[in-house]
Amino acid sequence: MAVDKSELLQGTLDMLILKTVALGPVHGYGISQRIQQVSREVLQVQQGSLYPALHRLEKRGWLAATWGESDKGREAKFYRLSAKGRKQLDLEESQWNRLSEAIALVLGTAS
Amino acid sequence: MPWWWKSLFRRRALDAQLSSEVRFHIEELTDANIAAGMAPEEARRRAVLEFGGGEQIKEELRDVHRVRVVETAVANLKAAFRFIRKSPSVAVTVIVTLALAIGANSAVFSAIDAILLRPLPFPNGDQLMTILERNPKINSPRAFVAPIRLEEWNRMNSTFQSISGYYTENVSETSGALPEKLTRAWVAPRFLQVWGVSPALGRDFTSEEETSGGPNAILISDRLWRQRFGGNPNVIGQKLRLDGYAFSVVGVMPSSFLFPVREVDLWAPIPPGAPASQNRDSTWYTAVARLKPGVTLAEARANMDTVQAQLARAFPKPDADISPVIEPLKEVTVADSRRSLWLLFGAVSLLLLIACTNIAALLLARASQRQHEISVRYSLGASRGAIVAQLLTETLVLAVAGAALGLFVARSAAKVFRTLASTLPRVEEIHLDWRIVSYALGCSLLVTLLCGLVPALRGTRRNLATSLAQASRTQVSGRNPLQWLLVGVQVALAVTLLAAAGLLVRSFQALGKVSPGFTTAHILTFHISASWGESKDMSKLTQRIQGIQAALRTVPGVEDAAISATLPGVPNQYQTELKVTEGENDPQHKIIAESRFVSPSYFSTMRIPLMAGEMCREQPNLLHAMVNRSFANTYLSGSPASGRHVTLLGSTFVQSAEVRGVVADAREEGLNREPGPVVYWCMSAPMPDPDYLLRTAGDPMTMAETIRKKVHEIEPNRSVFELAPLEMQLGAAFVENRLRTVLLAFFAATAVALACIGLYGTLSYAVSVRQREVGLRLALGALRGKIVRHFLLQGLKVAAIGCAVGWALAVSSSQLLSGMLYGVSSSDVATLASVVTGVLVVAAIASLVPALRAARLDPMHVLREE
Repeated sequence: MAVDKSELLQGTLDMLILKTVALGPVHGYGISQRIQQVSREVLQVQQGSLYPALHRLEKRGWLAATWGESDKGREAKFYRLSAKGRKQLDLEESQWNRLSEAIALVLGTAS
Repeated sequence: MPWWWKSLFRRRALDAQLSSEVRFHIEELTDANIAAGMAPEEARRRAVLEFGGGEQIKEELRDVHRVRVVETAVANLKAAFRFIRKSPSVAVTVIVTLALAIGANSAVFSAIDAILLRPLPFPNGDQLMTILERNPKINSPRAFVAPIRLEEWNRMNSTFQSISGYYTENVSETSGALPEKLTRAWVAPRFLQVWGVSPALGRDFTSEEETSGGPNAILISDRLWRQRFGGNPNVIGQKLRLDGYAFSVVGVMPSSFLFPVREVDLWAPIPPGAPASQNRDSTWYTAVARLKPGVTLAEARANMDTVQAQLARAFPKPDADISPVIEPLKEVTVADSRRSLWLLFGAVSLLLLIACTNIAALLLARASQRQHEISVRYSLGASRGAIVAQLLTETLVLAVAGAALGLFVARSAAKVFRTLASTLPRVEEIHLDWRIVSYALGCSLLVTLLCGLVPALRGTRRNLATSLAQASRTQVSGRNPLQWLLVGVQVALAVTLLAAAGLLVRSFQALGKVSPGFTTAHILTFHISASWGESKDMSKLTQRIQGIQAALRTVPGVEDAAISATLPGVPNQYQTELKVTEGENDPQHKIIAESRFVSPSYFSTMRIPLMAGEMCREQPNLLHAMVNRSFANTYLSGSPASGRHVTLLGSTFVQSAEVRGVVADAREEGLNREPGPVVYWCMSAPMPDPDYLLRTAGDPMTMAETIRKKVHEIEPNRSVFELAPLEMQLGAAFVENRLRTVLLAFFAATAVALACIGLYGTLSYAVSVRQREVGLRLALGALRGKIVRHFLLQGLKVAAIGCAVGWALAVSSSQLLSGMLYGVSSSDVATLASVVTGVLVVAAIASLVPALRAARLDPMHVLREE
């Protein structure tokens, strides 16, 4: 089931991108594919939100970009995580975990 | 490469990169579709569809990168103009306040720039020096240079390009119907070379004209050319009749060349070979010289000392006792006005500071009124920087408008300055130029930062969740400590300025009340033109001047006549060392006294009483002198003065004289100085052109025409000039003092006015903000009188604290004024107390108005405005 892009908040998308890139340098197409695969087709990121997010993260200094060759020989822009980005990823991950634990607790007691 | 760099300068490259990224993604999608079994065109079409609008995405990406500097600036400017239109009274107040403060600042700065900072208006003006002679052994005052010595210096030195000299005198020009007085500058050769200026019309003097016996030539000033010759270009070759000799005009100087004195009309060369110029003791030149490029003042001084030492060996008398004194010409010209100008600058800067605090308080009030608007913008995603930038732009627009208006104010202020301060040196050089404009802009930037930053930062504080949640009306605390602090600062600064002005005013008054020791009313002073050449025949000169005095005494309405070398009461010093022939002469305790040269009738004309002995007389063989009481007490204590002989040391002009008596002390050295020891040398002709003093029965100026006619009868070839009552001359001597006092008083008054406006504004704001509270209180039965008292006390409390701080500031900075005061100490309690009382009274009135307004609120009206 494809989640509507408007339900995936901007902050969460940033975190997912950072996590995906943390595994190694990857281009924009690769990122959207990977998120889709890893989330078992639940999360499908639209290009309309992906690329602005990538450029915003690059502007903020959390991603570093270089031009290189894809495995098929085409020229592509590869993104990788910077040191600042790594710290931001850790921060956002811990915030997300705390939040989801709290929600789970509430849902758990309510039912 | 930083992202903004890419956006500003590599637009195309950035675009290409974005397209490339998008293209890559679409191609990957196409490949995936082909791999899934679609035909290539179908695969591509599907991929493009799936990707979504490529152009839209590119546009969004460009958005992310765009540097919005210019667009933001334009948007901010538009918002700023909207703000001005919405609250015009605030904007107008700010602009006018700034215009006054920045205008005054620019005017004073332009004066300082023209007079103190800029080099003299000659090519390489820093190379110009003045040289005078001095006898270092007796520490005599600086004396003029002998022409023969000047030529030797010019020949023998190695550090100056050329040395020249000048002296000025007044001369009668008699080619017209009535004699006209002109100011003539006698100059040594190379005069124009030293200044580096060429005549605007005609030429410099030739060597023929600078030789004894050669043709008589003069250069005339631009003013004389226009007044006398109507600006006729055919003036070259025309003649003027000076002292009975014809001089032909060889050139006209440019209108900006007003040296050596502002009133100079013509320049004439003195041939170095003239017989009168050969005497090593005849000194009359003030030497001006131009240093060679790259030579320092120290090197020049050392070299000239060596040169003079050589001359001393060749001519031990008098050169062994002479030492050259070299000073930069600019220093000599501006030194006296330096202090006044910097004092003015300090005052006007304080004024600017007060204006800034006023504006800051106004803007703070505005910022808190816009709290709601700012909070909404925050929650809509604006960054703090963006909001601060917008608020600062509003302030900047006001500041620039104020600065522009201020430049107009500065232009007219500069004109006023020039008329008020016409005796200051180099006043004609004051004008506005790009330096002043950039100074004004710099001021306005400073003002923006000072006034706009604090309100902007305060207004955008982060604790906004609370501010949005509350209704804006109930949120305000009404205490505003920062605004009250600003008002307090203003009051303190105003008190300081007012105290300084008060002290200057009192000192000026005290000066007016000083008893000078001689009569100042009913004295007419004037000069009769003469030339220095007359001093060759002293007895003839003496007879002539005595004759004039006698003739003037016969005029009905004239009670007495006398002459004096310098005007009594006008600050002037001629300290000399003397020797008393009888009695002990202790080399440790030199006899230093003021020497004045007067005719014997001086004492009766000026009503200086005789204390002991008898009045001096003028006799051909024996020189008489009188001493004053200070001299008798200091140097002749215990023995009668009459019969003693005094000798003037270091003078070739006057030798020794017999003291005939003692007169009372008089403040002839200047009303602001205690009278010191004075020796009066009784002679009618200390110089060909002394000051004539007449005591009249009635108002001195009514006798002016009569006197002119009488002098014309006796001396048809001479003219009378500088005819004025002594009181006016005394007033003119203190014009700089008066200028300082007037301006400072004006600034102080403005400062107090600004402080009161600030007080009124802040209190009004406090009242308007607490309207509901006051309405509630009134509805609950509070007495109106209590409300009034509450607000009044609030205002007075701040004013009182401000006054206390101001008092402390005034006392601690009183040292700055101590040199300019007379008759009142710089920490005079009475002045400070009256200043503080005055400020408190005005502050009370300023606070009363809003307080009364608060009490007159209609509670029902206010409470209903929920």
